[in-house]
Amino acid sequence: MHALEARHAPVVSLWVWYQVGGRNEVPGTTGMSHFLEHMLFKGTPAHPKGDLDKLLARYGALWNAFTSEDVTCYFETVPKERYPVALELEADRMRNALISPEETEAERTVIVSEREGLENDPSFLLGEQLQRIAFSRHTYGQGVIGSKEEIKLMTRDGLYAHYRRHYAPNNAYFIVAGDAPASELLDRAAAAFGPLEAEAPAEPPKAPEPPQFGEKRVIVRRAGGALPILQIGYHAPCASDPRAPALSMLAVALAGATAGGGETASGRSSRLYRALVDTGLATAVDASFQLMKDPYLFVVEAHLRSGVTHEQVERVILDELARTARDPLSDDEFARTRRQMLSASAFMTDTITWRAFRFGQLLATGAASSLAEWYDRLAAVTAEEIRAAADAVFQEKSRVVGWFTPEAS
Amino acid sequence: MVHSGGVVNVQRHRLPNGLRIAVAPISGLRSVATLLAVEAGQWFEPAGRPGIARLCAQAMLRGTTKRDAKSWADALDAIGAAARLDVGSHAATFSAQSLAADVGELLTLMAEAVVTPAFAPKEVELVRQQTVAQLEEDSRNTRAVAERVWRELVYPAAHPFHARPIGDPAVVRAATADELRAYHLRAIRPDGAVLVVAGGIEAKRLFDEAERAFAGWSAHGPREPRSASSVSLGGTVRRIEIVPDKTQSDVVLGWPGLPRTDPRFVAARVTNMVFAADTFASRAGHVVRDELGLAYYVFSTIGTSRGQSPWTVRMGVNPINVERAVSVTLDELRKIVGGKVSEDDLELAQDKLVGELDVARESPGGVASLMLEGEVFELGPDHVERYPRELRAVTLDQVIETARTFLPPERHALAIAGPPLPVAD
Repeated sequence: MHALEARHAPVVSLWVWYQVGGRNEVPGTTGMSHFLEHMLFKGTPAHPKGDLDKLLARYGALWNAFTSEDVTCYFETVPKERYPVALELEADRMRNALISPEETEAERTVIVSEREGLENDPSFLLGEQLQRIAFSRHTYGQGVIGSKEEIKLMTRDGLYAHYRRHYAPNNAYFIVAGDAPASELLDRAAAAFGPLEAEAPAEPPKAPEPPQFGEKRVIVRRAGGALPILQIGYHAPCASDPRAPALSMLAVALAGATAGGGETASGRSSRLYRALVDTGLATAVDASFQLMKDPYLFVVEAHLRSGVTHEQVERVILDELARTARDPLSDDEFARTRRQMLSASAFMTDTITWRAFRFGQLLATGAASSLAEWYDRLAAVTAEEIRAAADAVFQEKSRVVGWFTPEAS
Repeated sequence: MVHSGGVVNVQRHRLPNGLRIAVAPISGLRSVATLLAVEAGQWFEPAGRPGIARLCAQAMLRGTTKRDAKSWADALDAIGAAARLDVGSHAATFSAQSLAADVGELLTLMAEAVVTPAFAPKEVELVRQQTVAQLEEDSRNTRAVAERVWRELVYPAAHPFHARPIGDPAVVRAATADELRAYHLRAIRPDGAVLVVAGGIEAKRLFDEAERAFAGWSAHGPREPRSASSVSLGGTVRRIEIVPDKTQSDVVLGWPGLPRTDPRFVAARVTNMVFAADTFASRAGHVVRDELGLAYYVFSTIGTSRGQSPWTVRMGVNPINVERAVSVTLDELRKIVGGKVSEDDLELAQDKLVGELDVARESPGGVASLMLEGEVFELGPDHVERYPRELRAVTLDQVIETARTFLPPERHALAIAGPPLPVAD
């Protein structure tokens, strides 16, 4: 349990990070952690379905949940006087969710609808395929939401067993940030979660991804998008790797701290924005290095203009990536990159919700043990370390390339 | 200063050129959220030229008379600011977050872009081509198609809200740099514009920095009055547009709304929450998603402008469930119109709307957003304090009357985009 004081507004944000996600699933149960996330909103004996929703709505709470490959996370940001109630709700559903057969059936169609909404997006369709071929053994290849067929086959008993195995205080991080002394925030949390029983720890399937010895490619041809999309992934280190801060900076150097294109004004000095958007080859470009527990992917995505070929854009991107691996950023470029990265950290921590989120993310993935440690590590990154990280990651052998090609309707 | 259980302390200043400035200092923060809203949204576009406002705004980000596009972008990224420029129904809003120490440089860059854009032909051409590409992309995007179709069903061709802010493809293709310059001269003006700032900065320093940055901004000639003929639906209109290779249908169900300056607007906002604004606090959201599992997302919004912005319910639904989802949504509306709405429904909606105002204070961006609406529409210097009381004062009778007046279930517009719907038996 960790608490951060944030005294600029009368608000508290609490987060529970369960160490269970897509990585814990095996074929036949893909999407189970995400399905379970939905079921945690469907009531306990103490708080029947609708109770939690209405209570939090009445407080004007900002509240939600998400599931990733690594974790399932629940949060509430509430007026500070409501902190005890939010705590009680989270502690209650940690062990007492009902997950009834009737509610499982009712929610199944919602989850299928969520998946179908994603399927309408060509970028999702391509990304799902890219992730699938990138991992031959590691469960990261399965993604998070699961296949529609497996969502339809999910059983109440399977979900309940998954819940009992993974939802316990010894398998979660609790983070709170807000307008009270840290000791008071922690004492209240300890009183809420302390009486809950621990479970025997459940390890995810151990299937380390073996090295890749050559580029892999995938093409998705669909009519559901009008313009081509290109995604290039490289196998990249995990969050606890010493190069993680440099790789985070590298993503900013390539495409800015916020994705470029459209209405966004910042990040336009980045290398790929200059090479692709300013030149009229693409409408938008993004680069991302995600903080993950195990080695994952560094991904570049470009949305191409009409009439521009994948080959053209792929060549430009690969040239730019090779340049970052060969030469350190210029002094000006490095200064801009560093400033964007450090400013983005300050922006995040000036919002109570995101301050708590960021801390939880660093802890849950093993990236750092505090916000200050991560900030200091980012601040200490040199231009040469960014170059070296690019050189280590941008290898043809560990590359995965995906093309989305629009088809005539 | 924002303090526990208290209010947002807003300090104001007006420059000689008419630019109004409102700032809420928040101690303990390193950053500042800055919103510059210029009355240059769709409402102020030249009649029959949808898309000009957004093209102009985008071109303003592509170089000024002092720096080319590259130098301007270098300078913005050198201070690490996160910034964007959006065109909505009422305003073109330049929004940014920067470190407090950099706010002077940020305002300098904003002012250059807003006051002295270069509109260099090659940059205008780039913006045009980007917009054309976005319109192409949107032609296969079910949400974008549903919104386009809904607007076409509701607003006549010359109405400012007939097209989406991105505009009409023919207008975008034909627009010239001269047209953008002329629009800029006429619409991008300090009178009517507001600069709203919240975060770790003293008011005096902000006023000084803003005065330095925007002192040279002046209005050219009197503002042209803008009006649009009143819009109402004579009956139910619906259109289905097939978008190939999609799994889900996106649905927009709605009505023309009311101006933000209409005294009934606050009641409308409460009515919106009672009806469908939220999945959990609203009747339709609760039934469609939580009870029947018909959609992953369902929500309604009511636009804010000086005109009749869209008042719409949106949802993503499997084609086999579209008719049922629309039908139960309208059933919930009929209950409200018929007076079958409880004090508990109203109290829940009011609690949520008021509670959200408290929670928004957690961030400089949230505080700036709280202030923006009152400043843009000149709702009074005490708007932030008064607004929660106004929400609480709305009665059940007002909710019912508002729904009857603005959301008649038997006269609605329905747009559906996605796969073909199943044929009814």
